[in-house]
Amino acid sequence: MRQYVLKRLLLVMPTLLLISIIVFSLIRLIPGDVVVLMFEEKAYAKDLDALRAKLGLDRPLYMQYFSWVGQVLQGNFGESLWTKRPVLEEIARRLPITLELGIMGITVALCLGLPIGVLAAIRQDTLKDYTTRSAAIVGLSVPAFWKATLVIVLPSIWFGWAPPLQFTAFSVNPWQHLSQFILPAIILGIAPGCGIMRLTRALMLEVLRQDYIRTAWSKGMREPRVVVKHALKNAIIPVVTIVGIQIAEIAGGTVIMETIFGLPGMGRFLVDAAFQRDYPVVQGVNLLIATTIVVVNLLVDMTYAYLDPRIRYQ
Amino acid sequence: MNRQQADPRKSQGVRRRDVLKAGLAAGVTLSTWPLHQPPALWGAEAGQPKRGGILRVRGIDPPHFDPHLTLNFKTHTTLSFAYSTLVRYRVGADVRPGTFTVEPHLAERWEQPDDTTYVFHLRQGVKCHNKPPLNGRELVADDVQFTYDRFLTEQGNPLRFMLEAVDRVEVVDRYTVKFVLKEPFVWLVNVLANPVGTWIIAPEVVQHFGDLKKPESVIGTGPFLLERYEPNVKTVFKRNPDYFLKDQPYVDGVEWLVLDDPSTGLAMYRTGQIDCGPAGGWSVRQQDLEALKKSHPNLVYQDYLSNVTGAVIYLRTDMPPFNDVRVRRAISMAIDRQGIIEAVYIRGEPTPAIARGATEWSLPIDQLGEGARYYQYDPKEARRLLAEAGFAKGFKAPISTTNGYGPDLLDAVQLVQGYLKDVGIEVEMKLQEYGAYIGTTFLGKFEGLAMGPVSITWEPDSVLYGMYAPDQPRNSGHVNDPKLTAMLKEQRRTKDLEARKQLIFDIQRYVATQQYYVYTNAVMVTGTWQPYVKNYAPNPSFDFGGRAAALWLDR
Repeated sequence: MRQYVLKRLLLVMPTLLLISIIVFSLIRLIPGDVVVLMFEEKAYAKDLDALRAKLGLDRPLYMQYFSWVGQVLQGNFGESLWTKRPVLEEIARRLPITLELGIMGITVALCLGLPIGVLAAIRQDTLKDYTTRSAAIVGLSVPAFWKATLVIVLPSIWFGWAPPLQFTAFSVNPWQHLSQFILPAIILGIAPGCGIMRLTRALMLEVLRQDYIRTAWSKGMREPRVVVKHALKNAIIPVVTIVGIQIAEIAGGTVIMETIFGLPGMGRFLVDAAFQRDYPVVQGVNLLIATTIVVVNLLVDMTYAYLDPRIRYQ
Repeated sequence: MNRQQADPRKSQGVRRRDVLKAGLAAGVTLSTWPLHQPPALWGAEAGQPKRGGILRVRGIDPPHFDPHLTLNFKTHTTLSFAYSTLVRYRVGADVRPGTFTVEPHLAERWEQPDDTTYVFHLRQGVKCHNKPPLNGRELVADDVQFTYDRFLTEQGNPLRFMLEAVDRVEVVDRYTVKFVLKEPFVWLVNVLANPVGTWIIAPEVVQHFGDLKKPESVIGTGPFLLERYEPNVKTVFKRNPDYFLKDQPYVDGVEWLVLDDPSTGLAMYRTGQIDCGPAGGWSVRQQDLEALKKSHPNLVYQDYLSNVTGAVIYLRTDMPPFNDVRVRRAISMAIDRQGIIEAVYIRGEPTPAIARGATEWSLPIDQLGEGARYYQYDPKEARRLLAEAGFAKGFKAPISTTNGYGPDLLDAVQLVQGYLKDVGIEVEMKLQEYGAYIGTTFLGKFEGLAMGPVSITWEPDSVLYGMYAPDQPRNSGHVNDPKLTAMLKEQRRTKDLEARKQLIFDIQRYVATQQYYVYTNAVMVTGTWQPYVKNYAPNPSFDFGGRAAALWLDR
């Protein structure tokens, strides 16, 4: 197991290096220059050059890249070109909100997807199975932004009520803070939950037909034990992988939820920074998101190895 | 409180007797109109001022807080709560939307001893916000001089063009400051009232913070103190107890909320979570208006035309075929402006060079003289003009635009593509990202045609001189017309207001005949607010802080 983890960790290094190059280059490939944007409609040529030099953007790209990577390795993500605030400080302020929303979203997805998937499998071709499968299709088909809009707009018209739509910090009012996250987390979790549900059902059906499950039944084991201990543990392995991918999808989905529900997380921060060509912010946030996904996938691989001992020897 | 009686716009169930009474009253009013014009109350009826309460409104997240390092309206609208200007445009319920009347503010009076000198006399005893490093010290002439020195010399001030006519600012004494101009510029006082970049700052703050980008550096003399800034959430202002306008502000504070999603904002407005309209300028989007009126007839609504022309066709007038006036006129006549309004903006009005919302200076289309005929939708005549110019079979050209101004502009561009195709002009859309658009097209670096908005109009000079004078970077169409340039320069020297107004009208008539820029329309905006918001009227300017200070909440 240790060797397996070590091997995976070594693979992470070139991945991160590649990510850093992509993150650094992509924002610069977008047409539009941060210096011109800062001067907006009225550019004075000498001012442009001076500001470019002041921001260090007059140096060759490779020098800018190495200087940035050097800073990052020392834990310094630079400072925003616009606000002059340290990028890490800005990220630290917003990351907990995105993490909170993301964790709640994936919790909703798992709580929804796994039990319903199992239920649909063990009650195959019954009303429960048909109902949950149809609901899953609806959940997958209706986009999250539409669900969120309906949840906000319709009650405001029908009942003159709307969920809390202005962010309140946990330290100010814990209940209000949590209640702000409940609806976006549910909406965020529905689509991935439906995907997990369908996958779980399909895998469970396959596993439930295996010989060893038949043996378990014939030994007179009770249903919960057969389903949870023997079937689910084996069926869940691909689900774990999918959950890893879903986490990346949820990270993307938080941008929309944060905008609609007024949550000041990383998503909105990143979008604003991209529009402003705030290179250090875009680079820092993207690097962090990419690293998080790499780490999550690493954890998924390790969980995979834990659940299926054969994997670590391959 | 009987709200129905308090505000006649909210009447429901009108009786015949009421209609007759209203008709009689209207007849009497109209018959006396030429003799007497009482001040109109555009906003909610005021009553007695009432102190207290927190105003919760749709705000905007500024990229930073330095007024001399951006022309972004997000920064300047936010700063309007905390800073003051030497002079300002009047605010309050009796200000008709679209009128911008200069009144004293930090300067209690001013004089013009000669054509190139303006002397401003400051109010005495104006206190800065009680925050370090100023700690409530008095505002003096040195601050004004520092402000405008920084304005004119700060590397990267995109607004420097506003005061290019200013040679220097001198301190005469503690409360008197003198502006010396390079050449006569009669719009100086108006430009100083423009709520963008003209906020008076203090030198100690810049020295202390290095620049004014951080929220902690927002220390002015305005009606509110910046208490807290939460990025992407809100800026919280609290009442400045030492504000120099007596009794103002009436509210204890303002929550300037970031509402990025239109549906979220509308839901908050419907449920009373915000006090004024959820869209830009505290309005409601036209597509939401009817539904909101139906579900919430008790809210106050006020229509006015925008002082920004949202969709203007820019032409490279220095290059063929657009250097031929017949081609430009043909393009103008190929465009169905009313069709664009109905299909995209729902309500609005075709506009000349000065957007119709700038009511004092903009001419209605039917008063443009000969130029008015080029505003008529007449594809047949357009084709004839093109044939006369040697383009009987039409031509192809690119049209640059951006998605940075939202979907309405792109819809309008697509309609224009269709209209031009009908007369034989095939235009291919070149969609640019906002930053690229500003860096190239906006500065006149494009081929063929382009389409985008023009700047906001408070006084007519900025938009006319900026767009048509040959040396101006905002002259995106590369217009160089000696006759027009002479007219533009002449109005800058004309002190007599009436004569200047006529010149401005003449310029609009002239450019309508030349069609250097093909203006489409000004959109209708509907300001809306809760009935308990008193002494407020909307106006398309960035001085939200001034309007918030003058209003009160009578819940």
